[in-house]
Amino acid sequence: MYLWKCWHDTRSFFIFFLVIAAASTPITAAVGVGTSLMEGFGTTVLLPTLITMLFIVALGLGAIGAIQEFTDKTAHFLFTKPRSRAYFVWAGWAVGSIELLIIALVNLSAGWLTLVHYSKRPFGTVLFNALKKHDIADIVIYTLLIYSLTYSLTVVLRNGLKGLGASLGSLAILQCFAIAMRLRWNVNVPIPPQPIGSLPPAISNIIWILAALLFVFSAQLIVERVEI
Amino acid sequence: MNDLAIRTKELAKTYAGFPAVCGIDLNVPRGAIYGFLGRNGAGKTTTIKMLMGLTGLSAGSAHVLGMDVPNERIAILQRTAFVSEKKTLYPSLTPSELVRFSRGFYTTWSDRAVEKYARLFEIPMKQKFDKLSNGNQTKVFLLLALSQGADLLVLDEPTTALDPVSVDQLLHVLAEDALDRGCTVFFSSHQLEEVEQIAEYAGVIDHGKLLMESRLDDIKSEFRLITAAGNSLPLQTSSQILSLDAEGNFCTYVVTRDAESFAAGLSRNGATITNIAPLSLREIFLQLVRKEKPCTSGNAGTTPDPFSSSS
Repeated sequence: MYLWKCWHDTRSFFIFFLVIAAASTPITAAVGVGTSLMEGFGTTVLLPTLITMLFIVALGLGAIGAIQEFTDKTAHFLFTKPRSRAYFVWAGWAVGSIELLIIALVNLSAGWLTLVHYSKRPFGTVLFNALKKHDIADIVIYTLLIYSLTYSLTVVLRNGLKGLGASLGSLAILQCFAIAMRLRWNVNVPIPPQPIGSLPPAISNIIWILAALLFVFSAQLIVERVEI
Repeated sequence: MNDLAIRTKELAKTYAGFPAVCGIDLNVPRGAIYGFLGRNGAGKTTTIKMLMGLTGLSAGSAHVLGMDVPNERIAILQRTAFVSEKKTLYPSLTPSELVRFSRGFYTTWSDRAVEKYARLFEIPMKQKFDKLSNGNQTKVFLLLALSQGADLLVLDEPTTALDPVSVDQLLHVLAEDALDRGCTVFFSSHQLEEVEQIAEYAGVIDHGKLLMESRLDDIKSEFRLITAAGNSLPLQTSSQILSLDAEGNFCTYVVTRDAESFAAGLSRNGATITNIAPLSLREIFLQLVRKEKPCTSGNAGTTPDPFSSSS
């Protein structure tokens, strides 16, 4: 029932972006057919669309996902249900994660079908031009990390706007820190989804996923100790 | 089997050095209606929050339905319905959707009870929660709690914002429906009439201390207000003297039992008894809380010192 509540709270946002995910690439292709836009469609259209949209969705879902449940006014209702507080934290996160992944999948599928349609080539031979599979994985993992960070901060701060602001602030500080470390001491601080040190991309991605889960776990620990 | 639905021992809560609840011993019998009385800020809500696991215990222990509160919280919540002081729920959900939301948490949920109480309380089930009047919002809370099929109902000021008709309906439901199922009702209030109307037991809390806990029948039959005049009047509370108020040579006692023998004892010591009168719950409440000082160590009813004017 709590999963239904999470879906109920996010469905308008989700459906809105699902429509955009499904329609953006076909519309762009229809407008750009016969132009140079179609050359390298994967990298010039699909990739930027995917990044921008998933970034917004990650921040949005993170900020609205579970906020009603954890505010001062309604936490007493939720936390007197016979479930652990950890269950509520992870259930809310899981619903948002699935919605994020569905939007990514729909966007990629729509882009792929668009390419199939306009390239006049058999399905199996159509790729996203120069777009590589690990690029897509990197984007999805990166946005999952942003979503988890925003969600966790929203839950801990018990305010969607504060969670969003703290998340954006954290990302900006991390970027600035990484740049400063590189310029001043020539040390490369890994920024998601970049590979960590000399680790293979797959291992790096697993570590970034674990980092995303660590954010949620930290939020869980705090929520379990908070006094209502 | 433990015959107490709620039992606390030396239960205490401190917020940043401020004692909100100071070592109270609550004993709520199973199947009873227990009115938990106190002024605003007396510690009622903090006590209830501790019992519901919303806030931690600073000291002491608490058992609900025989289960330890910190360690068996989820098992307790499975069998306990709670209506909080803040009657706020998700604004975008209708009462029907809130029923749908709550139903899945409880194996004992009753849809028949939902229909019954929705009709009784005249709740518009298809209207969004934030569009409901304050009274109807409170009723939705009560509907959810009553439909849960719980063994224990914990209600924190349940009649807030209800009109007199709805208050009457609720008290009727609690007194008949809940008790018919063998459900224990523990409700906080500062409406003494409500407690007198349906409660079998009452506890009075003030400044975080439980000043009195008794059967209402005992209050009616045993408790007496004795006013005496004299020079050597006892000025300490005891198990028999619930409270006293001294002024000059006069002293007013609230005596919990054997009022006649107590008065006779005073007379033997040269005191003149000017009045012996039965007490209502309201009179006892006012006697207890009007002069109570902030929380200090000691047992209920032994707060020093009510006699500054006489010393």
